[in-house]
Amino acid sequence: MRSSEKGTGRASLLAATAVAAIAVALGLVACGSSGGGIEGGGSDEAETVKLEKKASGSLTISNWPLYIDEKTVPDFEKATGISVNYIEDVNENDGFFAKMQPLLAKGESGGRSIFVVTDWMAAKMRELGYLQNLDKSALPNVEKNLLESLRHPTFDQEREFSVPWQTGMGGLIVRTDLAPEIKSICDLFDPKYKGKVDFLSEVIETVPLVMACEGINPDEASEDQWMKTINRIKEATEEGQIRRFTGNDYARDLTSGDVVAVIGWSGDAVQLQADNPNIKFRMPTEGCSLWSDNMVIPVGAPNPTAAEAWMNYVYDPKNQAQIAEYVNYITPVEGVKEVFEKEGQDELVKNPLIFPTEEFTKKCFTQPKISAEELQNVTRAFNSVVNG
Amino acid sequence: MTAVRRRLSPYLLLGPGTIWLVFFFVVPLVYMVKLSLESGLVGNLEFNWHWKNYSDALSLYDTQFIRSLIYAGLATLFALVIAYPLAYTIAFKAGRWRNVLLFAVIAPFFTTYLIRTIAWETILSDQSPVTDVLKAMGLAPSGHVLATGGAVIAGLTYNFLPFMILPIYASLERIDEGLIEAAKDLYSSATQSFLRVTLPLSAPGVVAGTLLTFIPAAGDYINAQFLGSADNQMIGNVIQALYLKQSDYPAAAALSFVLMAAIMVMVLLYIRFAGSEALMGEEAR
Repeated sequence: MRSSEKGTGRASLLAATAVAAIAVALGLVACGSSGGGIEGGGSDEAETVKLEKKASGSLTISNWPLYIDEKTVPDFEKATGISVNYIEDVNENDGFFAKMQPLLAKGESGGRSIFVVTDWMAAKMRELGYLQNLDKSALPNVEKNLLESLRHPTFDQEREFSVPWQTGMGGLIVRTDLAPEIKSICDLFDPKYKGKVDFLSEVIETVPLVMACEGINPDEASEDQWMKTINRIKEATEEGQIRRFTGNDYARDLTSGDVVAVIGWSGDAVQLQADNPNIKFRMPTEGCSLWSDNMVIPVGAPNPTAAEAWMNYVYDPKNQAQIAEYVNYITPVEGVKEVFEKEGQDELVKNPLIFPTEEFTKKCFTQPKISAEELQNVTRAFNSVVNG
Repeated sequence: MTAVRRRLSPYLLLGPGTIWLVFFFVVPLVYMVKLSLESGLVGNLEFNWHWKNYSDALSLYDTQFIRSLIYAGLATLFALVIAYPLAYTIAFKAGRWRNVLLFAVIAPFFTTYLIRTIAWETILSDQSPVTDVLKAMGLAPSGHVLATGGAVIAGLTYNFLPFMILPIYASLERIDEGLIEAAKDLYSSATQSFLRVTLPLSAPGVVAGTLLTFIPAAGDYINAQFLGSADNQMIGNVIQALYLKQSDYPAAAALSFVLMAAIMVMVLLYIRFAGSEALMGEEAR
């Protein structure tokens, strides 16, 4: 009697717990999906931010790690009385998107007023209705000082919703002691360097550069041409020509000499070269890819007034010089060079990776505009190569 | 009062664990099931019982699937071959060194998993002495070790080795040495007493160790990411890319469920044939 009582007691306990668990689970899922889950964002026509007369309060900014000096944030706080929560939580565009997307779909930005994302990601967010248009009346410094070459990118012809944070080049980084002859993207396919080259694992960086080697203009490329180029990369991968696909971690392979050349970013090259003079950025004979990381204001962003005050602040050449000196990318702000000249920082002024001449970048191209659906298709094809 | 308390106490004891599991396992699981049956582009996903996600998961990624099972299987095998003698030595022969050796087994956990894996990039890099030795032995036909399947399997073996050693050690250490002495008294050879006494008694540890190694290894993506090349990527890498790079959440969710189901079936079969008795001890009889 005792044991059977105990038995039913335990069984009913388990049953009750299970039923409760499922009920709670279903309830939560139901709540989740009625709140938006993963559904469409705003309307096709983006709204323009609504500004207050005077910027105040607090401001949260999401940016990439090591992308600002230590003084700019406190200086801005002192100058404006706005308190800044500066978080470095953008490690890669896709990962950041995956994290923010469920919130953005509900019209929320997780308390953030500014994101810094690369051109193609800004375009993708815009297409999904996750970004607001800027009110340019509060951005006189941007209007005045934005580099001419960055004013009309294909993804945002009139800079309605994006302001460049920093700009850089995608091209070749070469170990000049091990492979001095590599001068073009096409050279990376030379059997001489079998298993000695890394490509970037980002479709939007690697494929357009290889297109340039194939003689295709990335800006006008059809989906077929994307696929054809991806196929070429696939063949090279299967032959063992390409050692691996990496992010910034190509730095290790280059430093150890496991690879002799990579498709990589100019800013990394400046830093790597400081440690090893044999590592150099080379402008590919085909040209380079020019990209920007852009400040954008997401839907549901609190205090857009303070956000625009920040954008305007960093576009003052004096303030920008402080950032540019630290990050080693191309600064998008006119007048920084003059600030450096006045300070006598000749080395920075002469570095073509920080202040490229028109001659140096004349064959470079901006990241191609591509629809969300095409992007999905080519990314799938490319990832099937990367994860062969 | 005490009767009420006695009746409530099992619920109270189960409470924290149940709540935890409901919120962090059952809820996400139900949510993922729903997600895995949606279709469309991110931003416009629609729930429409899209079972094709599942057939796609199997047909598009069968190569990586099979590769993952082979890599995880080999890593488990190598870990077992390394772990058993080691655990045996620590349990029976180490004497006063026992604690030192156990500490050495656990010591790698003081560094993160990621750093340990990245360290292997240096250990196996093209210029390292280890690579020279492997090349001289003819074990590096492609001319390099890093960025090959061998490196991925080596990384998996290394990273999950402690999960194999510790359960085996625990089961060996519990063995009553009197039983082994009894076997000797009955004129069994050392081999016989090992095969008929020690090995069967340590079987629960072996079963637990292989499960603790195989299951996480099959879903791992860190080792393939850092130590592998494009054609050594595992199913975890595919799921990661689907989710974080392609924003194809439904496909990623479906693939996760296929992986989960495959591992569950394999584990159930394994336990059924190799050792429900071994795993559960006396109670399973």
